[in-house]
Amino acid sequence: MTLMGLAPLASVLALLAQEPATGFVAENVAARPEVVERGLRFLNLAYTAVWVVLAVYVLSLSIRLRRLTSQVRRLKERAGL
Amino acid sequence: MPEPVDARMRTGRSGFVEQGLWVAVAVLVPVCLHQIFQVVPTEGKMGVVQRIFYFHVPSAFAGFLGVGLCALCSALYLWKRDRRYDLVAHASAEIAVVFFTIVLLTGPIWARPVWGVWWTGEVRLTSTLVLWLMYAGYLILRRNAENPEQEARWGAVLGIVGALDLPIIYKSVEWWRGLHPKVLKVSGGQGLDPAMERGLMLCSLTFILLFALLLVLRCRAGALEDDLAALTRHAARRGAGAEPA
Repeated sequence: MTLMGLAPLASVLALLAQEPATGFVAENVAARPEVVERGLRFLNLAYTAVWVVLAVYVLSLSIRLRRLTSQVRRLKERAGL
Repeated sequence: MPEPVDARMRTGRSGFVEQGLWVAVAVLVPVCLHQIFQVVPTEGKMGVVQRIFYFHVPSAFAGFLGVGLCALCSALYLWKRDRRYDLVAHASAEIAVVFFTIVLLTGPIWARPVWGVWWTGEVRLTSTLVLWLMYAGYLILRRNAENPEQEARWGAVLGIVGALDLPIIYKSVEWWRGLHPKVLKVSGGQGLDPAMERGLMLCSLTFILLFALLLVLRCRAGALEDDLAALTRHAARRGAGAEPA
């Protein structure tokens, strides 16, 4: 009697334990073309942001270095050092 | 004229270390990009957008390095009152702000497709923003000081206080169990695929070398600013001395 009563429960548990052959799992979602395309847009945006920030800083630093070097050289020449 | 900070810095020329760092960074950046886009596997759940991680995390490492170095040199400055420590602290803070700007831009760009929002009130995100604001404030504070001694002293105090946020950022995912993924195994992360781990290590090395290169350049600029100030004072004294009484 008890075992008979557990049979439907066991079949439900077996169903739940099964890996879905096809379905809405994260791995499948990530591989879908529209999701890949959307991901690439964000990836592009992120890498563009990285390069822009680094380029602006390196450029501003090199301009600052060039300006300072020429100012120091000019003052040294004027001071006769 | 004040004591020279460094003879090579004063000439405005790049040294052997700087040239070596330029070469290393120029070689390693394309290698990193090859690793990120050709070698490392695509993460199963997040897809291609996970590749943001290879620049986001190394930027955070470089930012941490900058803040740590700033705090260390600030403490040494307060102890020894040596201008060289202040110079390195100021340069480190500026570069840390640059790297944390990258972290705070790439993080939300990753979060939007993965979490569905650009920003949340999660502790790691908030504490990183607070750190960025503190060091941006550090740079503004230094610009508004009345004299160089005050600038260095105020900067040193804020440089040390700001670094107290570092352990909060690092441990926040464990302490408050936030949404932010755990990256390192030592902080309880699940670990990465070996190819992903190699990619991350290579990118981290590249960003640390980039940090070192920017630090050398920024310290040279700081030393030249000192030179310029000293030369200007020297010229003013000579001008005043030449004038009739």
